[in-house]
Amino acid sequence: MEIIAFALRMAAPLIAGLLVILCYVSLHSGRREEKALIVLQDEQHDLVYPVLYWENSIGRSRSSDVHLEDPTVSRDHAVLLRREAGWLITDTGSRSGVLVNGQPTQGRTPVGVGDKITLGSTHLVLRRTSDISGQSAQRSTLRYISAAVLEALLLLYLSMITVSAALTTGSNTPGLMGGIFCAVTVVFCFVSVKLLHRHSFEQETLALLITGTGIILSSVHNERQCMVQLIAAGIGICFFCFMLWFLEVPDRVVKWHLIISILSLLLLAAALIFGKVQNGAKNWISLGPVSVQPSEFVKICYVFVGASTLDVLQTKKNLTEFIIVSALTVGLLAYMSDFGTALIFFCTFLIIAFMRSGDIRTVILALTGAGLGALMILSVKPYIADRFAAWGHVWEYADSSGYQQVHSLIYSASGGLFGVGYSEGYLQYLFASENDLVFCLLCEEAGCLLALICAVIIGGFVLYARGAATRSRSTFYSISACAAGGLLVIQTALNVFGVVDILPLTGVTFPFLSYGGSSMVACWGLLAFMKAADERTYSHYKRLKKTKPEEAPAAAA
Amino acid sequence: MYKTRARSFPVLMITLAFFVGLGWFVFNLATHGAEWVSLPQNGHLSENGALEHAGSIIDRNGVVLAHSAGGKRIYHEDPAVRTACVHVVGDNTVNITTAVQNLYRSELTGYHFAFGQGLPNEWKEGASIRLTLDSNMQTAACRALGDRKGAAVVYNYRTGEILCLASTPGFDPENKPEDIETNEAYDGAYLNRAISSAYPPGSTFKLVTAAEALESIPGAEKITYHCEAEEDIGGAPVTCYAAFGDVDFKHALMYSCNLYFAHLAVDLGGDKMTARAQRCGFNACRSFDRITTAKSVYDVSQASVNDLAWSGVGQYTVLETPLNMAIRAAAIADGGTPMMPYLVEEIRTADGSVQKAQHTRGSSMMSPATADTLKEMMDYTVANFYDKSVFSDVLDVCAKTGTAEVGEAGEPHGWITGFCTSEEAPFAFAVIVEHGESGYGSAVPVASAILKAWEEEQKTN
Repeated sequence: MEIIAFALRMAAPLIAGLLVILCYVSLHSGRREEKALIVLQDEQHDLVYPVLYWENSIGRSRSSDVHLEDPTVSRDHAVLLRREAGWLITDTGSRSGVLVNGQPTQGRTPVGVGDKITLGSTHLVLRRTSDISGQSAQRSTLRYISAAVLEALLLLYLSMITVSAALTTGSNTPGLMGGIFCAVTVVFCFVSVKLLHRHSFEQETLALLITGTGIILSSVHNERQCMVQLIAAGIGICFFCFMLWFLEVPDRVVKWHLIISILSLLLLAAALIFGKVQNGAKNWISLGPVSVQPSEFVKICYVFVGASTLDVLQTKKNLTEFIIVSALTVGLLAYMSDFGTALIFFCTFLIIAFMRSGDIRTVILALTGAGLGALMILSVKPYIADRFAAWGHVWEYADSSGYQQVHSLIYSASGGLFGVGYSEGYLQYLFASENDLVFCLLCEEAGCLLALICAVIIGGFVLYARGAATRSRSTFYSISACAAGGLLVIQTALNVFGVVDILPLTGVTFPFLSYGGSSMVACWGLLAFMKAADERTYSHYKRLKKTKPEEAPAAAA
Repeated sequence: MYKTRARSFPVLMITLAFFVGLGWFVFNLATHGAEWVSLPQNGHLSENGALEHAGSIIDRNGVVLAHSAGGKRIYHEDPAVRTACVHVVGDNTVNITTAVQNLYRSELTGYHFAFGQGLPNEWKEGASIRLTLDSNMQTAACRALGDRKGAAVVYNYRTGEILCLASTPGFDPENKPEDIETNEAYDGAYLNRAISSAYPPGSTFKLVTAAEALESIPGAEKITYHCEAEEDIGGAPVTCYAAFGDVDFKHALMYSCNLYFAHLAVDLGGDKMTARAQRCGFNACRSFDRITTAKSVYDVSQASVNDLAWSGVGQYTVLETPLNMAIRAAAIADGGTPMMPYLVEEIRTADGSVQKAQHTRGSSMMSPATADTLKEMMDYTVANFYDKSVFSDVLDVCAKTGTAEVGEAGEPHGWITGFCTSEEAPFAFAVIVEHGESGYGSAVPVASAILKAWEEEQKTN
C-alpha cells in the first residue's frame, strides 16, 4: 500500500508537468500569427501600411502601430479598431481631424473596404490583405490541443493524487471530495466546449490542476475546510463563466468602470466599518454563516478600473482617476493592517500605470509616495516593524516569530522531491498551514516538484498574457490580462517567499491552492481576464455568424 | 497595441524575479536541506517511531550500541552499558541534544536528498555509524561514578579518538524512569556533563597559570614563595589548606599551593592571564562532530586584585568543561598543541559510501618546552605526592588534582586531569565528581577504574 502511494506520488508530478507543458504549447501554437488583418494603402505615395492588431494607433509618433511620416498628422492622431460589426476609426484629439470619404467624423465611425480615410494631408484606403500583392493573408486555421485530451490528462492526475491520498489516510474523504471535484471538471469542460463552443481549455485546465491539488490536500487534513474549498471552487467556476460573458464587449465594460470603482471603494469601506479583526488584519465581513474577505473581490474591480480600450487611453491620457482609486485602496488596506494585500495592489498599480501611460515619472512618483506612506505608518505604529523583525533571521527567532518559517523549511526539505505522503506530514499541525504555509505543506506531503509546478503555472500565466498582449481583441484585454497575471504572481511570490524567508511573512494566500473561499472565487475571476485576452475565447461568434449573410464585408479578413 | 505590449516589461521583470526566487529556494533546499532536516524541531525525526528503521551505532570494538530490527529500536543488551552510553548514543526522543542519534538522525534514518523522508519504510535504509568510543571504558567510568553526579573524558592525544565521554546520572533508554523529570537524583539526566556543563576548575587551572608564568617570567621555575596558609592579597585573604613554608615552582604545583599561584596570577596581571586562558580554550565553545560544547569562561575584566589572585587557582568566576580540561592535558602530553577530539569514526551509508573522520590538530596552547616542563612536574607530583600505582599498575600517569570550592552550593567538586605517557595508551583525561570533597579521594578512583577497564580489555584480546 505504502509503495503504491509512493509510486503514485512519484508519477503525479510527471503527469502534472506533462499537462503544464501541453497547455502552454497549445496556448503558444494556438496564437494568431502576427500578419496583416487588413492594409491601409497610401495611393499618392504608393505606400502600404499593414494593420496587424485589433486596435491600432495611427499617428506621427514613432511608436504608433501605423506610423505616418506626415507633419500635418498629430502624434497620436487616431485609433483604428476592429469590432464584431467591422472596422471603426476614432479621432483621438488630433489637430486636423479624421475624414472618411471626405466627411468629417465624430466619435467612432465605421469604415469598410475601399473607404478613404484622410488624416492631415495623408489619404489612406482600406484594402483587404489579399487584394495587395506582397502581403500574405492571415492563416485562419488555429492549432491547439483538444480540450478532451487536456481534461483526460487532468482526470488522470486528479485520480492519481486522490488514490494516493486515500491510501495513506485510509479514509473515504479524499475519494469522495476528489470524485466530486473530478465530476465538476468534467461538467465544466462539457459546458465550455459543447454549450459555449469554446475550443480552448488550457488556462482552465491549469487552474483546475492547482485547485484540485488544494482540495485533495485539504481533504486529508480538514473535512470542513475541504467542503468550503469545493463549494468555493464551484462558485469560482460559475463566476469565471459570468466574467467571460461580461468581458465579451470591451466597450461595454469600459462604460461600467466608474460604477465599478465606486463599488470597490464601498467594498473596502464596508470591510472597515463592519469588518472584524482576524490575525491582526481587519478585513473580514460576516454574512450570516459565511465570512467573506472583500479585499479579494476588490482585486477584480481594480483590474476593471485600470484597463481600458486604446481609443479611451489615447483620448484621456491622465491617470488622475485611477491614481485616486489606487491611493484610496492601498491606503485603506494599510489602515486595516493588511499589508500583504496593500503591497499586491501597489505592485499591480505600477504594472497598470506603466502599461497605460508608459510614463516612468508616474512610477517614480508612486514609489516615492509609497515609501513616504510606509515611513509614516512605521512612525505612527512602530510595532508593525516588529512583525518583520524575523525576516532574514528566522533561525535566530526559531522559537518565536520565525517559528512558522523555520518549520516550513525543515518540513519542505523532509518532503524531498515526491513528499512523505498526504497527511503524513507534520506541518499540518502548525497555525495557518492550509493557507499561509500551503506551499511548504504541499512540498512536505506531495513533494517540492509538484509545489514548484503549481508556482510555475502561475508564472506561466503572465508569460502567456504578455505574449497575447498584441493579439488580444483590445488593449483592455492586454492590460487586464497582464495586471491579473502580475497580481497573481506577486501574491504567489509573497506567499511562497514569505514562508521560505526570502521575503517577510505577510500572510497572503497562494492562488487557487490556499484554503479560503473568497480568495478562490476571486482567483477564478482574475483568470477570466487572462482567458478573455485569448483571441480564441470569443471566436465561436464568428462561427455562429457564418450562417448569416455577411453584414460587414471586412469583419473577417 | 505594440506600445502597450512594450510597456508591459515591469510585469515581465516581476515574473522573472519570481522565477529567480523559486530557483533560489530550490538551491537553498538542495544545499541546506540535509542540515534543516536534521534539526531537532523536525517531527519526522523526533516523534516516536522515527528510529524504527534507523541504522546501527557501534563502538570502536564493534559492540552494537543501538540498532533497529522488527520495527523497533534496540539498544545494548546490558542495562549498565545502555545507561552508560545513553548520553553519547541517545534515546528515542530528542531530549539529549548532543547525542549521536540526535545529531546524525538524518543519516541514521536514511534521509535522501531527492526523496527526503518520503521513501516507504520498507525501502528506507539508514547509514550505520561507528564511534571511537570504548563502551567498556565508558561503562567502567559510570560504574565508578556510581550514584554521584559527574563526568569523565578520555581521549587519545595522538589521534583525537574519544574513548570515554561519560556523564552521570544517566538512564536506561529502554526503560526510562517515570520520575526522570521530578526526581532530584535524575537532575540533568539529559545533559552530557562532559561537554555541556562548565564547572569551576579549581587547582587544575594552576597548570594554565603555570604555563603563562613559565613563558612570561624568565627563571620562573626558580621563584620561591613563603606559604603561611593564609595571606592578604588585594585586601582580602587567600587561603591554602596547609602552611607549606618556602615552596618553589615544582613543589607548589605538587602541594597545590594556592598562595604561590595566586601571587603568580597577580604578578602576571589580568591581560596576560586572559590571553593564556584563551589560548587554552577559555571564553569559547569547542565544536566537533556537530556537537557544540558549553563555553569555558575566564573573565577578570571586573575582577579586584583579590579576585584575580583567586582566578589564578581556578576559583572566582572561572568555569571549564571537562572536555576542555582533557584537551589541555593532551596539549601538555603532546608538545603544547593538542589533537582535537572526535567521536564519529565512520558513517557508512546504505549505498556503500563511507565518510571517515578527519584528524585535526588544534592551535598551540603553550610552547613545546613549557609542555615538557609541566609534564615533568606532573610526573613528579604523581610520583612523590600520590603514588604511581593509584592510577594503574601498568600505565605511567602524569596528573594534577583539583578541589573546586563551590561556596554555598555544598561540598567542593573533585577533579583529576592528566595523561598516560605510555605509547600504547596515549590517553589524556579529565574527571569530575560533583561535590566529591577532594580530587584525590573522589576523581582519582574513577580515572583509575577507566584505565583498569582498558587493561582488562588488553588482557582478553
